[in-house]
Amino acid sequence: MDVAAIRTSKLSKNYGLGRGLFDLDLHVEQQEVFGFLGPNGAGKSTTIRCLMGLIRPTAGAAQIFGLDCVHDYVAVKRKVGYIPGEMPQFGSLRGSEVVAYLGALRGGADLKRVRTLAERFNLDLSRRYREYSSGNKQKLAIVLAFMHQPRLLILDEPTSGLDPLNQQEFFALLSEAREGGSTVFLSSHILSEVERMCDRVGIIRAGRLVTIADLDELHAIRFHHVELEFAPGTELPVKAIRSAAGVEDVVAADDTVSCIVKGSFEPLLDALRGSTVTNLVSHEPSLEEIFLEYYREAAPAKAMTP
Amino acid sequence: MAAYLLALRLGRWGIAGFGAVAFLVTLLQSVGFYQIAGRTQAERQAFGRSISVLAAQFSVIIPLPTRPDTVGGYVQWRAFGFFAIVFAIWGLAAASGAMRGDEERGIVQALLASGLSRPRMIAARVAAFATAAIVAALAASTGLLVGVASGGETFSAVTALEAAAALAALGVCCYSLTLLVAQFTSARNTTAFAGMLFLALFLINSLSRTFDELLRWRWLSPFHYYDQSSPLAPGGTLDVRATLLLLGIAVAAASLAAFAFRYRDVGSPLIALPTTARRPSYEMSRSPVWRVPVVRDLYERRFSLLVWTVGLSALGAVFVLLTKAIVKPLLAIPELAPYFAIFVNGNIYASFLGFIWFGFAQLLMAGFAITQVARWTAEDSDGRLELVLSSPLSRPRVVVERLIVLTFGALVIAAASGVGVGLEAHSQSVDLNNRRLAEASLMLVPFTLVFGTVGALLASRIPRATVGILGAFAFASYLTVQLGPIFKLPAWAQDLSAFKLFGQPLTSGVDQTGLAIMLVIVLVGVVASAVVMERRDIGA
Repeated sequence: MDVAAIRTSKLSKNYGLGRGLFDLDLHVEQQEVFGFLGPNGAGKSTTIRCLMGLIRPTAGAAQIFGLDCVHDYVAVKRKVGYIPGEMPQFGSLRGSEVVAYLGALRGGADLKRVRTLAERFNLDLSRRYREYSSGNKQKLAIVLAFMHQPRLLILDEPTSGLDPLNQQEFFALLSEAREGGSTVFLSSHILSEVERMCDRVGIIRAGRLVTIADLDELHAIRFHHVELEFAPGTELPVKAIRSAAGVEDVVAADDTVSCIVKGSFEPLLDALRGSTVTNLVSHEPSLEEIFLEYYREAAPAKAMTP
Repeated sequence: MAAYLLALRLGRWGIAGFGAVAFLVTLLQSVGFYQIAGRTQAERQAFGRSISVLAAQFSVIIPLPTRPDTVGGYVQWRAFGFFAIVFAIWGLAAASGAMRGDEERGIVQALLASGLSRPRMIAARVAAFATAAIVAALAASTGLLVGVASGGETFSAVTALEAAAALAALGVCCYSLTLLVAQFTSARNTTAFAGMLFLALFLINSLSRTFDELLRWRWLSPFHYYDQSSPLAPGGTLDVRATLLLLGIAVAAASLAAFAFRYRDVGSPLIALPTTARRPSYEMSRSPVWRVPVVRDLYERRFSLLVWTVGLSALGAVFVLLTKAIVKPLLAIPELAPYFAIFVNGNIYASFLGFIWFGFAQLLMAGFAITQVARWTAEDSDGRLELVLSSPLSRPRVVVERLIVLTFGALVIAAASGVGVGLEAHSQSVDLNNRRLAEASLMLVPFTLVFGTVGALLASRIPRATVGILGAFAFASYLTVQLGPIFKLPAWAQDLSAFKLFGQPLTSGVDQTGLAIMLVIVLVGVVASAVVMERRDIGA
């Protein structure tokens, strides 16, 4: 049986005052693309830094391919490609020199692979690093993370600064990496990013994991925006709609009523019995709205106390 | 007003640090005067004569003293002469950071986007630094007044204020000149270009005290105008014209800087070299230097290493010239024979050179170590260490590689400076023991490593405060050697200073005990740094 690419057990990093990461249990299978979602300050980067052995957990443990992230951090790095949340300064070094420098720290980089990646993202490696735009710095980070074809990619908001065309290219590269056998752990606060790439998604807030779900499960929590238009002069059945099970956020204006319907439409249709509905529009929310709705519900119960 | 207050806030640590140093130095020097100068008129006159002889050794750095037998004359020479260098460096660093550093950090863009005009921004920055310089200079004067009061004497507050005025004027002048230089250089090169300019202006003035050929050029140097005032010494005055001239230069330089700033692009120098169009390259560098640990780091900092190496070699040669020029006439004074008999061990040229050159070289090498440590902490704060450690590299290896790079750098600089001193000594027919010179030069390496390992330990534990603490350690270490004998500090306390551990290898040979202690400090420092680095959080 294959060992998990990433496994954490009660992983915690307590910075005090309720800040940090608390009791994180994760299990990412090999060749899985796992999205790690959360707003700024939720604990995504703290989790990633724990996995990379850059910070020591105050409790719990993290393993990558069965190796302890604290004690075996050198061996772990041999298997990992990493994109940090922010690229550092390399001053007057040229892009080609930054790649050579960091490639040498890994025992050498494949010239052909580097050229292929740089060409793919149209990254001019002859320019000095300080002349790079933020987008070019991010492209360089991608080259550095992918150049040694790692078994696991840990990517902290990898598309930040990339234009849409390069984002497309990045997603294509990610697909190829996955097909090549790599596992991907990708943090983001943009749902559309994980929507198109990930098998499963972990949602984190205030340092605590709110849920782990595959995309189908996320869609199961789906709800609908509904707009109802009534015949002119009809008395609006607002009271009945408001009391219908699964119906929320009811807003009435002129001859229209808008609301959110969770789960079955039956209660709403029952409430409309006897009214003349001239138009009914229902549309699915974006994954982002699902995410926010999930947050709204999960927050008070689970995520407030460390 | 908001831009002025923001500039003050951004510079608050500089004001606090330089103000504290200025206060402490004048306080210690004035208190120290009463400890060593004696109480009777005769004792103080004898003290004054010996100080005058001693001061000749330092004339390349600070002007000769006037009436060092008085507390005012002594502090003017010992503290306010040294402050000229300190305030110039402060002005340079502050202006370089305020102009081009803040451009890189985006602060300048944010200010200009708020509707502030460029000339007003320059004016606010200059006004804020002027305020800072005045505060720090007043702290220096306050230290003097407190120190004099502790000796049971009184001192004119007006005179102390005059000394502060001259000092602040020099600081503002250097600040504005750096602002002007910053308009014509890339952000990365501002400090280097302004530093070279100030070094040249400083040397023109200081060397003109020894070499007459430079007298006709010293009008170019702001340090010359500062030297015109010595209000603390009896009979000395504040040269109002020279001080106003310093302020005039400051205003003119700031106005020109504001004018130039209006016409340049933010982030670029006023006159940018045209770049030629070239095809993009997608190739990784194939240079073998990147593959070899240590070599790649030395290669990356090759230009700064070259500047340090050439600079120290040239300074070493200049100090040989100075030794020759100063010692020769002193030997002709019969009254000084007893002094030399007491203080000079063997060859007077070697003793003199050993004292002034290696004393100065120690300071510079401590500075070299601090710049390297500052680089390590910058790598930590800007995320480079995080990226490096995302490679399969152990943390102790990072610490050890850094220190090996520092060792090689110090070795190259020390060796080159030794060669420079040796060659110039040979050409000047100054008799030096080559073996001793080699040993003394090489002793600079463990000396540098003491600061390097202390810095590595601090950088492993508290990177953000490292440079400040290490600078304070170097300062305290230097003061211990300078003031330890005056304040009769116990021997063990004086031995704590790295400057004391260095000894006088050019005249007395290598102090084996001092060397052993330095090596132990280095060894313990390396191990402790590696252990602490292994356990700390990176990028948190």
